[in-house]
Amino acid sequence: MRLLLLLALLVSLSEAKLTVAVSYPYIASIAKTIGGDKLTVETLAQGSWDPHFVVPKPSLIGRLRSADLIIINGADLESGWLPPLLTRASNGNLNNPANVLDLSKKVKLIDIPTDTGRAGGDVHADGNPHFHLDPHNIPVLAEAITLFLSQKDPANAPLYRGNLAAFKSLWSTNLKRWDSTMAPLRGTSVIQYHPVFNYFLRAYGLKSLATIEPLAGIPPSSGHTMKLIGIIAAEKPLCIMHDVYHSTKTGEFLHDKTGIKLLLMPHDVGSLETIDTISALFDALTKRLQ
Amino acid sequence: MKKLLFSTAAAVSLMAETTELETLKTQMVHMQQTLQSMHEKINALESSNAQETPPSEILPLTGPNNGTLSNLDFSLILDTSYVNRSQKEERLSALNTPGFVKSPLSESPYNPSNGFNLNYAEVALHSVVDPYLDADVVFHVAEGGVEIEEGYLTSRNLPYNLRIRGGKLLSEFGRINAQHHHAWNFSDLPLVYRSFLGHEKLKENGVQFQWIAPTEPYLMFGIEALQGSNYASFGTTPITNSYDGSTLASSPAKPSLIVGYAKTSMDIAESTLLAGASVVRGESRIDFADSDPAFSGKSTLYGVDFTLKHYFDSYSSLSWQSEWLYRTMEGRQFSDNGSALLDELSGRKQAGFYTELVYAPDQTWRFGTRYDSIYHNALSVEGVDRHLPGSMEQISAMIEYHTSEFARYRFEYAHSNALFTTAGERQPLDSFIFSVNLAIGKHTAHSF
Repeated sequence: MRLLLLLALLVSLSEAKLTVAVSYPYIASIAKTIGGDKLTVETLAQGSWDPHFVVPKPSLIGRLRSADLIIINGADLESGWLPPLLTRASNGNLNNPANVLDLSKKVKLIDIPTDTGRAGGDVHADGNPHFHLDPHNIPVLAEAITLFLSQKDPANAPLYRGNLAAFKSLWSTNLKRWDSTMAPLRGTSVIQYHPVFNYFLRAYGLKSLATIEPLAGIPPSSGHTMKLIGIIAAEKPLCIMHDVYHSTKTGEFLHDKTGIKLLLMPHDVGSLETIDTISALFDALTKRLQ
Repeated sequence: MKKLLFSTAAAVSLMAETTELETLKTQMVHMQQTLQSMHEKINALESSNAQETPPSEILPLTGPNNGTLSNLDFSLILDTSYVNRSQKEERLSALNTPGFVKSPLSESPYNPSNGFNLNYAEVALHSVVDPYLDADVVFHVAEGGVEIEEGYLTSRNLPYNLRIRGGKLLSEFGRINAQHHHAWNFSDLPLVYRSFLGHEKLKENGVQFQWIAPTEPYLMFGIEALQGSNYASFGTTPITNSYDGSTLASSPAKPSLIVGYAKTSMDIAESTLLAGASVVRGESRIDFADSDPAFSGKSTLYGVDFTLKHYFDSYSSLSWQSEWLYRTMEGRQFSDNGSALLDELSGRKQAGFYTELVYAPDQTWRFGTRYDSIYHNALSVEGVDRHLPGSMEQISAMIEYHTSEFARYRFEYAHSNALFTTAGERQPLDSFIFSVNLAIGKHTAHSF
């Protein structure tokens, strides 16, 4: 009888799948790779939209309602939309800091402002939060996610570690390919709309010459655009790396005036239809620049 | 002999204990060594990670992560306006909507005067108290003084998606009731809200329970027990006879209001629908200061709200928001006929709505229009119908310009025919309001 009970308990334990809510699709991609079928992943933001301005739809409260854990990007990227959703979801699990993984704490942030005054635009006080765009950071994030999941679900820890090992070996092959694709571009410079690609550029020795927005979060102005035309003419940057969520109007104008290439670059999984995994994201980023 | 045996036994057991102690000690040393080696491995891993990241070539790393250390979130919102109305304040203060309590625009906390207004500096503080509670306090600092707009505690870890909030709070009755002034799409309150709930809306001391149902789509239920001080529909002050000082109606048992609501939401492609039904019921004690005749009885206010928002992309959207309110009041009314107080049976059935459409083509501009109406306004005294104006309307239009997420400039025009003199003469009112709203401090999060 006891044995039966124990068995029943074991069965129920092994079937109790963890549910983890994640803020952005890139986190979902990594978490699914590590968690396999032992993990239910609820993604909040849509990859094709501005990560700073996620619409706090009430349906997202439903995705937070029954989650056991939450993995966030951090570095203030979610501060404009996630807190009210969490308050609404009334999910005690997610209000416990032990069940929150903040990925920004696991990597080194760049672009930390010395002056966080908003005279410089809407700057992120902790530094540039788009760190997942350095492909070298991905294994670090995957490791952090594996550790986090293993702590919360020790029964499946060996599986998570196995998946991590497979992911890392695949990733290092990918990294070599991307490194060699990007090597010839070292030293060249680009224009961006918002400094979303700084980690990617830094990883491959490219230079961000200027941004189409005059200051973070401030829409393009004609004066600044005229200045950009001058910069493009003088410095001959490789291209405009344009994110998919801002209007390309000013970018097209710059292209017409100077002939500079205007490239639509994905920033997250799901930002373009073909980008369905995190490695597809870097495949596209490296290919499009060629 | 026995003694010897005993002492040997004791010695043996002691020796056994010492050996046990020693094994324990060696185990501990082992554990320490393993810990040490693990520590070293972690250190090695960390430093190798640090080495893996390529050297900074574009932007140098500046200092350590020095995010705010304080666990108190602070934000300040400043709202100022320039107002030009077609009626002067002294005249405006005597204009009201018949069938409803006196709630003149000149007494509104927002945009009361022609010319310049400093409406408020809203100071909001938020912090986690302990693992069980969050605290929020919102002060409205205005020229008249400091008011606690809201101040409440919220539970953090109740099971089953339950949440309790207690303190001074904006009820989540309807849609716009829980929103602060700076979150409204227009600078003045919809006519139905001002008429049914007054300038302060349903803002009360009380306690709120909410539950998120485990369903797809989103479904939330809430009930609230509130003190009942709302002057426009409820109130708790006793009503006295000015002739003999006798009590016409004593104060009700407090808390005197009960609020209930259900809200649901679903996504259809890039559109989101949010709908709710609400009811608030309680005792009414409306004094002569707020209404002539005064009223004592029971009132029920029903609300249905409906919001449909379509997103074209991250920055542009079209939003249609409407709310319908219906009020019934049953009780006695007291009026002064010049020599004595009349005490009569009184019943009211009143209904109205607002509907607004806001289009945001980008982050810089927003355009909106609103139509307000009170279309049903029935008052019967001793079973006899008093003929109150049954059709009162207001139309508004606004244009907003945002220099950033933190600064909003809004130009608004409104035409109202809902105001009447005490003699019952309709007085049209045209208002121009230019308002500036600035947000500083902690990044304020947006609700849907």
